[in-house]
Amino acid sequence: MRHRLLGVLVAVVAMLGMAPLLSAHHSVAGQFDLSKSVTLKGVVSKVDWVNPHIYLHIDVKGDDGQVTTWALGTVPTAMARRAGLTRESITGKSGEVVTIECNPARDGTKHLGWVNTITYADGHKYELSGR
Amino acid sequence: MTHHICRRWLPAAALAAAIVVPAALTAQAPPRGSAELIAQLSAKPTPHLNGKPDFNGTWDHLGGIEFVRPQKLADGSVCLRGCGPAPGAPRPAPAPAAAPPRPAQANPPQALFPKYKPEFQAKVKDLSARQVENDNVLKCLAPGVPRIGPPGKIVQNSKEVVFLYDDVNGGFFRIIPVDGRTTYRKDMPASFLGDSIGHFEGDTLVVETTNFNEDTWLTDNGAFHTAGLKVVERFRRVGDTIEYTAAAHDPAVLVEPWSSKPYTMWVTNQELEEPARCEDRDLEHIVDGSHHDNPR
Repeated sequence: MRHRLLGVLVAVVAMLGMAPLLSAHHSVAGQFDLSKSVTLKGVVSKVDWVNPHIYLHIDVKGDDGQVTTWALGTVPTAMARRAGLTRESITGKSGEVVTIECNPARDGTKHLGWVNTITYADGHKYELSGR
Repeated sequence: MTHHICRRWLPAAALAAAIVVPAALTAQAPPRGSAELIAQLSAKPTPHLNGKPDFNGTWDHLGGIEFVRPQKLADGSVCLRGCGPAPGAPRPAPAPAAAPPRPAQANPPQALFPKYKPEFQAKVKDLSARQVENDNVLKCLAPGVPRIGPPGKIVQNSKEVVFLYDDVNGGFFRIIPVDGRTTYRKDMPASFLGDSIGHFEGDTLVVETTNFNEDTWLTDNGAFHTAGLKVVERFRRVGDTIEYTAAAHDPAVLVEPWSSKPYTMWVTNQELEEPARCEDRDLEHIVDGSHHDNPR
């Protein structure tokens, strides 16, 4: 039922003065367009707890009922651990609808992005790339 | 009677101590990695094992991500880095004319870049421009020495010292014989972390490593080396800390030995964990080759 409420909300917004992003790898700006922000609403279906970047997958249901899975990179596991974040805390509750603000891939790959903020149903959020 | 009293009151006293003492310790514990913590731990006696400084233990140095200072809010929210004032928080007071210095922190910034002979500077520049293509650290391979930084755990006996690393690229180990040998193994292929021999100079463990392959860099930005690289690491135990330095000697390409970023490590009870597997999913999507430092 809750999936009915899901929709793709893609808002491309010029982000002036964006805070610097972090990674222990290549430059995030070399892969993701930091001038664009995409907002997704969906369910975190999987979190790949891998280095150098954790990848989470979010199932987003469009107005036509089709579900699209986005792959979203974020910080290395050590940084998440330092903040007390785990695979479980990032996943949220089963079936929980989260809102993720991310930057899309620069190379045109669809449904690939870099997480800035995850907001959970109760309002708490993880800001992973600076405020 | 005394025995009876002891039996009667000891549990209560122990309970009280269990409540009061940790609270006192918690209240007084300096922040992780702070200069105050280092000063406290350095002042402790230096332990020894079989007449040598004892390096056994798990050692913290903030893992190269000392810049990550998460903010945690009461509602469960977390801001990892670059956090402004929390929503609803009172506005900060205007900064004084001369802002007080930030608390001193162990292990601030990177070392200078190695000095290459003129004939190799173009190669360094080219490698740096194409780091995303050429730097094996970005491909989940072992970072090499000294780029891997100091170990997270050290296991020592009278014959050898073992370094364990929980690196972002994987779990790595190095075995350092300290049995008095002076010649390196002859049957070892060149490798990412080389072949080492250690010896003690007072409270310092000196580790000399050779037999590297040429698949690693000394640091970011194209800092290549040759198979003739020799790295000398020094671990000086001071109380419950270790002062770590490393110097890379590669006279074929470097003008002078290069010292990597020095570290102070301190004993921690936070045990090493098996690192998450390293699995790059990004490089194929990089469009302009831009990169930045890869701290350890």
